[in-house]
Parts: sequence; structure tokens; C-alpha cells
Amino acid sequence: MPSDRKVLVIGLDCATPQLVFDRWKEKLPNLKKLIDGGSYGLLESTIPPITVPAWMSMMTSKDPGTLGFYGFRNRKNYSYDEMFFATSTVVKEKTVWDILSEQGKKSIVVGVPPAYPPKPLNGNLLSCFLTPGPESDYTYPKELKSEIVTNCGGYIFDVMNFRTDDKEKLLRDIDELAENRFGVTKYLMQNKEWDFCMFVEMGVDRIHHGYWKYFDKEHVLYEPNSKYENAIQDFYIKIDQMIGELLSVAGDDTIVLVVSDHGAKRMDGGLCFNEWLMQEGYLTLKQKPEGRTQVKHDNIDWSKTKAWGSGGYYGRLFMNVKGREPNGIIPKEDYEKVRSELVEKLEALTDMQGKVMGTRAYRPEEIYSTVNNIAPDLIVLFGDLYWRSVGTVGFGSIHTLENDTGPDDANHAQHGIFIMYDPRGQQKKGKLEGTNIMDVGPTILNLFGIEPPRDMRGKIVK
Amino acid sequence: MEKSRNKDPKVTIKIPRPLYNNLKEIIAGSGFDSATDFIVYVLRDIISHELYRGKESLSAGEIDIIRKRLKALGYFS
Repeated sequence: MPSDRKVLVIGLDCATPQLVFDRWKEKLPNLKKLIDGGSYGLLESTIPPITVPAWMSMMTSKDPGTLGFYGFRNRKNYSYDEMFFATSTVVKEKTVWDILSEQGKKSIVVGVPPAYPPKPLNGNLLSCFLTPGPESDYTYPKELKSEIVTNCGGYIFDVMNFRTDDKEKLLRDIDELAENRFGVTKYLMQNKEWDFCMFVEMGVDRIHHGYWKYFDKEHVLYEPNSKYENAIQDFYIKIDQMIGELLSVAGDDTIVLVVSDHGAKRMDGGLCFNEWLMQEGYLTLKQKPEGRTQVKHDNIDWSKTKAWGSGGYYGRLFMNVKGREPNGIIPKEDYEKVRSELVEKLEALTDMQGKVMGTRAYRPEEIYSTVNNIAPDLIVLFGDLYWRSVGTVGFGSIHTLENDTGPDDANHAQHGIFIMYDPRGQQKKGKLEGTNIMDVGPTILNLFGIEPPRDMRGKIVK
Repeated sequence: MEKSRNKDPKVTIKIPRPLYNNLKEIIAGSGFDSATDFIVYVLRDIISHELYRGKESLSAGEIDIIRKRLKALGYFS
């Protein structure tokens, strides 16, 4: 690539192909220009398709097993309760901007999770939504923080009260978040030297979770004629306008990628993971729960427990193995037998109407090239991701239409978006097939004429 | 030795010319525009890694804030 070319990566957390490529494309003139004038397609996410590890998988071209973290919370050891958070400190693989830094290229990186504490690079970096608060040192270099406060009014990490029924306020907060993030990125693009710029906008994810039921007629809680019917569409239009502003700043020398870490889909309900494990005899509590309650490890009768689960957009299943867990009971020689039995039962789960849900339970060693640190024994995507995993017990059923963590309309989908646009037209155009999240890193390096390291797992999209 | 003017955000540092010449050879063909750019990058890298060393683990308070936020966001229950 000639040395005058730059690369801008606009990351839209959770941006959904069905909405961007089909449903609202004609209302999004800037994204339409990139799609029609460049190449685009589905971007297959990590398993699980979740913000952490997906963005780092994209930027290192390594799968979660190689990265050694499988979600936000990970087992520190085989005890029952010690976990570590996947902050920037656990990312040991080189990111695209680490490699560009070594080559003398300057980068701007804004909000690519996990990015707190901020790590050094040849350029400027702002941390992500996992930053404790505005008092934290959230920039590299450190002195950039005061510059951002002075010139951009500060840096908003996230909407702070997401689980709320005050939808008016949430809309305003999401708008404010996006305006701030785009504004900060635009300021840095205009005022700092850069060859590579990437930022991640979290508002798209937040608005999907908050307002999906108002527009999707297939949603089980669909509310017709709501004042929020166009909330998500309007937000995409707003984002598109702000993308247009960044494109103007970037100019014709800059190749643009628009990517998302996963998509979104309606949430049909929650599968009460631990309730099911209790029902099937894998999990025994010391005291029967009174009402809905979280499963505390000290209330589990480990002498009668083979497995326990945790909730979230996907399920994590852990097995109580003799000689591995402190009070393990599954003999090591029976581990695979019990695990296979669980896979079979999980994948046969039915919905409230008795129809097979399409649940998939993955063995980590079958989906990752290597398994570093401690992965869950099974990674479970309930009902083709139309269902979330509920860790709480006491629902009296394995299905629930309520969420144990508060209102939430959408779940994550396995495919996000990939768009690549060269204003000079020096690229293949049209729809792409089979693009994987790990392809993004090597593709960016290739745009700079840098050969991707051999251990990057993705392929170059041309 | 350093020369610095109070209001100038940059200072001049002198290094041996053979070292400077070697650096120029090393960066030829790389993305670094000048030996100065390369030196600034290397020094920043060293210094920031030193500063970063103290931040390799988050405080209990920081972890608690992040845990609560992730829970509120629905990433786990």
C-alpha cells in the first residue's frame, strides 16, 4: 500500500447485518455508500459472541482459547469462587496497533474493549466501558486525559443506568454516549498524527437491548404503536450521520472498515440453567430456595453436585471433577461420559411449546485451536441465542419470560457486519462470504503492506 | 546534556553521532519518518511499561465497580 494511505475502523458494537444491509440501508446514506461502493458481508463472531473476547479476537486474530479468556469473568483456578476479570492486562497477544507501533505507524484507539488500564502504543489510546470512573487514568499517554476533558468535555464510558424502565432517559443517555464517542474520535483524528484509527461505539448494543421489542413484531413482548417504535432506526440514522462526519475528516486517502463484534436478535426468554441442572439431578442445593435467588456457592451441596451453571447472554457450565475441584465427585475417567450426557440433554431442550430450541453446547477444545487458562467445561448457546441463560433459581420452571437482571429485549447473534471501502476503488467489490472476525486483523495489516504474523489465525480479505 | 527552555514543550537531547547513524540505518524502510520519531517511540515504550507495571492488577475497589456495571449491563447474572 502506498505510504499515504490510512485506515479507519469504525466499530459498532452489536451492529446487526439484517438492519444495516437490508432493513434500513436506504435510510443510511453513508453506510450505503460504503456498502455499495465497497465489499460487505456477515462477520462470524467468536463463540461465545460477546464483546469480551470478540473485539480482542478481531484485533489479535486469535480465538478466545488462545487469548485465554472466554468472557468478562473467568475462573482463576479450580476453586468454586475465584474469578478474574478480563481487563487489558490479561491480553498477552499483540494487537494490530501493537504491530503497527513496531513498524512506526501511529494509531488512535478509542474504546476497544478490554482497554483499561490503557496500554502503551505509538499514538493515542482511550480506554473502554470497563473503566472504573472519570477519576481513573483512562488515556495513553496519561496527559491526553486533560486534553480530552478540555476539548471534548470529557469521555463517557457507557450509559450508567442501563437496566431501567425510564426509557426516555436511557434514550438521551445513549445519544449522549454516541455523540461524545464520535466527538472524541473526530477531535483526535483532526488533532493527532495517525495512520490507523479505530474506535468502538457501544450505543448500538445498548439501544438493541433496551428497545428491540418496540419494532420487532416477532418479539414475544412486542408493543405495537409504541412511541419507541423507531428508536433503534432513528439511532442508526444518527450514527450514520456521525459516520459521515468522520468520513469527511478521513478524506479520500483513508480506507474505511465498519465492523461489529456480533449481531443482535430478539430475546424470546431465559432458560433457567441452574433450575434445569437441579431438575436433572446434576445440582443439589443445601437449602431449597425461598423465592427467586442466586445460587451461592456456599449453598451448593458439593457432595451431590456434578455441574453448575452461570447466567448471561450465553451459558457457562462447570463440572465438579474429583481431584480437580475442591470437593469434586465426577471421577476423571467419567468426565467425558458425563459431559457428553450433558451435551445431549442440553441440545434436546425444548421451548415452552415443547419444540426443540436449537441449543448448542460446545466443548472448548473442539472450537478453539488451544485452550489457555480455564475455560468452562461447556459453552452453551441456548435456543440459537433467542434465549439467554438465567443463573437464578426459584422460577418454578426452566423457562422464564422475565430477565433476572432487569429489562432486556435482545440477545446477541452469531454474525456481525463487515464493510470495507476504499475511496479510490482499489478493491474487490460486492458481497463477501465466509468472513470471520479473526480475518479483520490480518486484513488491516495487509492494507498497510505488512505481512501478518504467521500465528494470526485469520485470512486476508481483499 | 539537556537544553531546555521553560515554555518549549520539547527538549534537545544529544546522542553520539555513530549511534544516530546506526539508528538511521535501522529505521530505513520502516514506517518511522526520522531517528527522532524512533527514539521517542522507544523511550515512551520503556517509560510507559514501567508506569504500567504498577497497574497490572486492578484494585479491589476498581474490580467491584466493574463487576457491578457488567451485572447491570446483563453480561452475567
